[in-house]
Amino acid sequence: MICFDNLSKRYPSGFEALRNVSFTMEAGEMAFLTGHSGAGKSTLLKMLMLMERPTSGNLLINGKNLNRLSTAQIPMYRRQVGVVFQNHQLLLDRTVFENVALPLQVSGYPAVEIGRRVRAALDGVGLLDKERERPMTLSGGEQQRVGIARAVVHKPRILLADEPTGNLDPELSSEIMALFRRFQSVGVTVLIATHDISLINRMQLRIMRLEDGGLTDDGATYGGY
Amino acid sequence: MAATDKNGRETTPRGASGQNISFAHRWRGYKSHHRATLSDSLTKMLREPMQTLMTVLVIAIALTLPAALYLTVENVKALGSNFESSAQITVYVKRQANSTAIETLAGQLDAMPGVISVSFISAEQALLEFKALSGFGSALRYLEDNPLPAVFLVQPLVTDQASLAQAETIIAGIRELPTVDAVQIDMGWLQRLHSLIEMGQKLVLALGFTLGLGVLLLIGNTIRLSIQSRRDEIIVIKLVGGTNSYVRRPFLYTGLLLGLLGALIASIMLFSCLMWLSSSVETLANLYQSNIVWGLGLMGFLALMLLGATLGSGGAWFAVSRHLRDIEPR
Repeated sequence: MICFDNLSKRYPSGFEALRNVSFTMEAGEMAFLTGHSGAGKSTLLKMLMLMERPTSGNLLINGKNLNRLSTAQIPMYRRQVGVVFQNHQLLLDRTVFENVALPLQVSGYPAVEIGRRVRAALDGVGLLDKERERPMTLSGGEQQRVGIARAVVHKPRILLADEPTGNLDPELSSEIMALFRRFQSVGVTVLIATHDISLINRMQLRIMRLEDGGLTDDGATYGGY
Repeated sequence: MAATDKNGRETTPRGASGQNISFAHRWRGYKSHHRATLSDSLTKMLREPMQTLMTVLVIAIALTLPAALYLTVENVKALGSNFESSAQITVYVKRQANSTAIETLAGQLDAMPGVISVSFISAEQALLEFKALSGFGSALRYLEDNPLPAVFLVQPLVTDQASLAQAETIIAGIRELPTVDAVQIDMGWLQRLHSLIEMGQKLVLALGFTLGLGVLLLIGNTIRLSIQSRRDEIIVIKLVGGTNSYVRRPFLYTGLLLGLLGALIASIMLFSCLMWLSSSVETLANLYQSNIVWGLGLMGFLALMLLGATLGSGGAWFAVSRHLRDIEPR
């Protein structure tokens, strides 16, 4: 599903954010991406979102080389991907419903279908009763769950999460992880960037470690930190 | 026989219409999205009523000025066309010309291109008219013979500057004719009127162009500010796979609405001005027995709305294509 092939990213400033990163994730696989801040986690996710283009190397999604996608094709690609942002990126002047509906609206779904899917997604994260509220009136955990609902409402094949449990207590973190597990169980490829060691330790998953832009450790070696 | 449902309507097999349904679905989604975008743009404009009102008023004034000047020019033109009937060429026939020569001349004048009508006043008729009008009737009796020549009144076709020039060649041609003694014309003031009208028309274009450019820039700037204040929203939309045209759409609608509202208010302003002026204009029109064009009319109104819509969406397009490119998720 996801295949990094010797990918490097060097910024114009000379900073090398990613060096010769190679790894493969199968469809329906779930993995952690970890490392210190500045190690390249965010850059790697940006590559997957086509927010950045690699300096060298290839990134293949479902066998398709993203380097070959033109700027005009980027929106179509992004519709296959769901992203949970660290700072949740919710629009504060819109209701929870409208926020979650956004990915469907941009794809041109009819209103009835949007209503059905948004409620299903909100039900999935346990926020069906909050659809009319604005993000500011919600707690941090609820905001994060709205972000997750928005990331999965269009049934993406790939789900990316950047520090999804950033400021949440352990109980909320496990709830969110359980949510991710559920998406994985229906065949979604899930990649979670985090430096929350306790979270990683609790889950028996593949862990990829980035250090200074290079992949230093890749395997199911959970724990042991 | 085709299958029928319980109401007697023909039912189509499902498989064949599957594609159509999905297309109809998509089309409905697209339409409802446009409707939603339009009402969303309107809501956002109404949320800042003063800001919107100011913008719309400036657009309205910028459209009213050239439109008012245009109406003035058109009306002066209508007045002028009334006077054009008075652009007459008086052709004095040589005293010694006999009736055959006069008939020949009548034929020659009639055959000239650009001549609408020719009328003849014989020397006798002229004398009678003069007697009746001048009051010198008794004094004229002492004259041995008629001092007045026969006269042709030639009316050239004069509608604009070009036909005025044509009238000049007609006059030159008449002068060449053997039985013609003298030609008298008074078209100098008509020429002046025509050049004034032409200048007015050019002024309308220049003013219209300048102010139109102003409207374009104003709407562009309004949209630019609106883009900046919705930066976060644009980024999120792009991240969830919104195309550039999706992002552009609400701003284009805002520009379109601003332009249309501006044109509407401009029409109202013009109409109010006309109402205010109407009594004095009617007097003027009666004095000149003129059928004045006056108001914008339906076509003029529609043209103004179209202009507003074009400037509005054009300005928005200009701003959007310049500033949206800079907003990419980083």
